[in-house]
Amino acid sequence: MKHSCDRALSLAQRYIDGEIVWFRRIRVERHLHRCRQCDEGILFERRLKQRVHDGCREEIPMVVYERLRAVLREYAQGDDPAR
Amino acid sequence: MADPATFEDDVMPLVPQLYTAARRMTRNPEDAEDVLQETLLRAYRGYRTFKAGTNLRAWLYRILTNTFINRYRQQSRQPAEVELGELEDLYLYRRLGQESGAARSAEDVALERFVDEDVKAAVEALPEVFRIPVLLADVEGFSYKEIARIMDVPIGTVMSRLHRGRKALQRALWDINERRGTVGTSA
Repeated sequence: MKHSCDRALSLAQRYIDGEIVWFRRIRVERHLHRCRQCDEGILFERRLKQRVHDGCREEIPMVVYERLRAVLREYAQGDDPAR
Repeated sequence: MADPATFEDDVMPLVPQLYTAARRMTRNPEDAEDVLQETLLRAYRGYRTFKAGTNLRAWLYRILTNTFINRYRQQSRQPAEVELGELEDLYLYRRLGQESGAARSAEDVALERFVDEDVKAAVEALPEVFRIPVLLADVEGFSYKEIARIMDVPIGTVMSRLHRGRKALQRALWDINERRGTVGTSA
């Protein structure tokens, strides 16, 4: 692996997260245009991030949602000085 | 200053999102509900201190994270820092590529065949110190700056934990893949 690949991969996380300053982003993108291996590798990391995002979602059961709301209302009523 | 009278209307729409984070943090539905209930009551009590118009979602995740950490640490007394060892860059990509041989898009095909339960198991296998930043960044979409505020650590710490956590996540996915023999056969 070339030195330029190491440098691009060391910035990959911030690049994928959109947390990179513009001149470094341009440097990474210039490398990705020239290096297919890094380009595909970083694209894979981006897809993996999306896969983690999609795969971790959890639907809250309606009964749990309603129970939480009921607890909150009861607590708020007990807290109400006008009561 | 926020008005407690509007708390339910302001906060309840965010509860489904908070539930996802609570489930992945606690790893089970009962504890998730407990942690979320405590989070809501704490948030209600502190709502007067919340500055209306600022980031309510991040404020709630901060309370959720603190609530979880306080409970979890009390229960398990797990150390705050865990050694994961070093992993190379593009760990999973390279392994899936080696496994599949010639076709260059095979890594992406393999990735799509991980089912949601695999992804959840891999995230939940991470030690808490890495699981939380991965959840906050990849699942909840918070910026490094927001995560730093939520976790009350410097941005550099967020970046380093996220980096190591994501690598550990790739190893966990690879382990799942190895145990199964072929990705997705149980789907």
